[in-house]
Amino acid sequence: MKALATAKIIPLLLLLAAWQAASATGLLPKSVLPSFWDVAASLAGMLRSGEIVPHTLASFGRAGAGFFAAVIGGVTLGLLMARIPVIERAVEPILLLIYPVPKPAMIPLFMIWLGIGDFSKIAVIALACLLPVVVATFNGARSVDNLLLWSARARGTPERRLLWRVVLPAALPQIAAGVRTAIAIAIIVLVSSEFISAEKGLGYLIFAYGGVGANDAMLAVVIYLAALGYLLDRCYLAGLRRLMSWHAFAH
Amino acid sequence: MHLLTRIIPIALLLAAWELVARVGWVNPNVFPPVTEIVLRWLVLFIDGRIYGPLWDTLWRALVGLAAAIAVGVPLGLLMGRARWAEWFFAPLFSFGFPLPKIALIPLYVHWFGLFSLSKVMLIFTDCLFPMVLFSYHGARGLSPVYLWSAQSRGTGRVRMLWRVVLPLSLASIYDGVQVAVVVAILVAVVCEMVSGGGGLGELMIRSYRYGDVRTAFAMLVTISLIGYALYKVAQWLRGRLLHWHVAEA
Repeated sequence: MKALATAKIIPLLLLLAAWQAASATGLLPKSVLPSFWDVAASLAGMLRSGEIVPHTLASFGRAGAGFFAAVIGGVTLGLLMARIPVIERAVEPILLLIYPVPKPAMIPLFMIWLGIGDFSKIAVIALACLLPVVVATFNGARSVDNLLLWSARARGTPERRLLWRVVLPAALPQIAAGVRTAIAIAIIVLVSSEFISAEKGLGYLIFAYGGVGANDAMLAVVIYLAALGYLLDRCYLAGLRRLMSWHAFAH
Repeated sequence: MHLLTRIIPIALLLAAWELVARVGWVNPNVFPPVTEIVLRWLVLFIDGRIYGPLWDTLWRALVGLAAAIAVGVPLGLLMGRARWAEWFFAPLFSFGFPLPKIALIPLYVHWFGLFSLSKVMLIFTDCLFPMVLFSYHGARGLSPVYLWSAQSRGTGRVRMLWRVVLPLSLASIYDGVQVAVVVAILVAVVCEMVSGGGGLGELMIRSYRYGDVRTAFAMLVTISLIGYALYKVAQWLRGRLLHWHVAEA
């Protein structure tokens, strides 16, 4: 497993080495693309001076707030939809209506409604993350093995308890996949919204450095953001594996 | 009957919205009634203001998507059938797939300018990932029986990719197109919102700056309809072109 992971990193390292070599030999002019070394040095400088920290906190505060609101709301809504027909009939058409709307395109409207501050960004992120979580929860809760429900009912579990103690745990693998999609979406919407309006945050930093032609610093933030997104995804998967080791899907 | 039960919740929601806005509980310049948005939407089509931006967004998205298909499908198929290509490209593409390519807008503007080229290139880049990955998975999962029988009849390597692997991978490739078509519109609109240069995204951000909520809403409706229509067209094409497809391949 470990050897496999190392082998997968080789192409990425080769690519970075080729980039550095092309810059060093002058094949790739620095006005077009700064060398990898310059970008890395710039990133190291930003990390050492702590300049990037408040921007990271601002960005991840927004993304985190929207994301967690979406997970809590989405799981609740998905479960209710799966078990209570009236709610399904009322909510499903509305979800179908919002589904094809490209969520970042709602940023201007949310800025009109909620101002250009954090609120509008958090709301768009929450809405964008909500849909995959609701759909995954709904599908997961729908496909719960009836045997589980029957045996719980036979043991006298009340309906409300059934939802939290039987349906939710059984639907967890699908919910987990929906949440993973939501993490990626949160970052995309975050960056889009910070490009459009922000005075703090990683998206703002990328845009500001790009605007003054500081390409090495701009790329440093892009790579930093990508690395954070990747780490987040890895941590999520690792945490999931640990949390769900009891679940059938882990075996 | 089924359709009716689906329409009722939406109709109720829209009616409540209309009522709240008409009664004056909310500022109609912030949250305009539905009818006014629909009216503005119609006006934009009648006075012709929307056609230019609509065309800009549409052709950028489609050109970027077409380029991504043209490059991504051969690359994905190659990765599915050639070990060295899989070894090199598969980790790169699966690593890059979830990353926000949107963050490259300033770099692409620096490379390709403020206008259409930078947008088309970013759409191409973003769509390339689903196209490559879906083609790759399609080509990798082929039943070797087809390949053996073609091989035994003396089919060459390039011809094999073109005449055997491509047709058998089409179902997966079309799944990729359906993902990419949505991505293309999304990236086109975000690029236009961020760096201007015409298109529905720019029109939307401009109407936001002028505080023109009705036009902004009409834009959102238009963008969503285009995305939905393109998705449906891709689905329809898939049905038309793949009716012969062997399901188990």
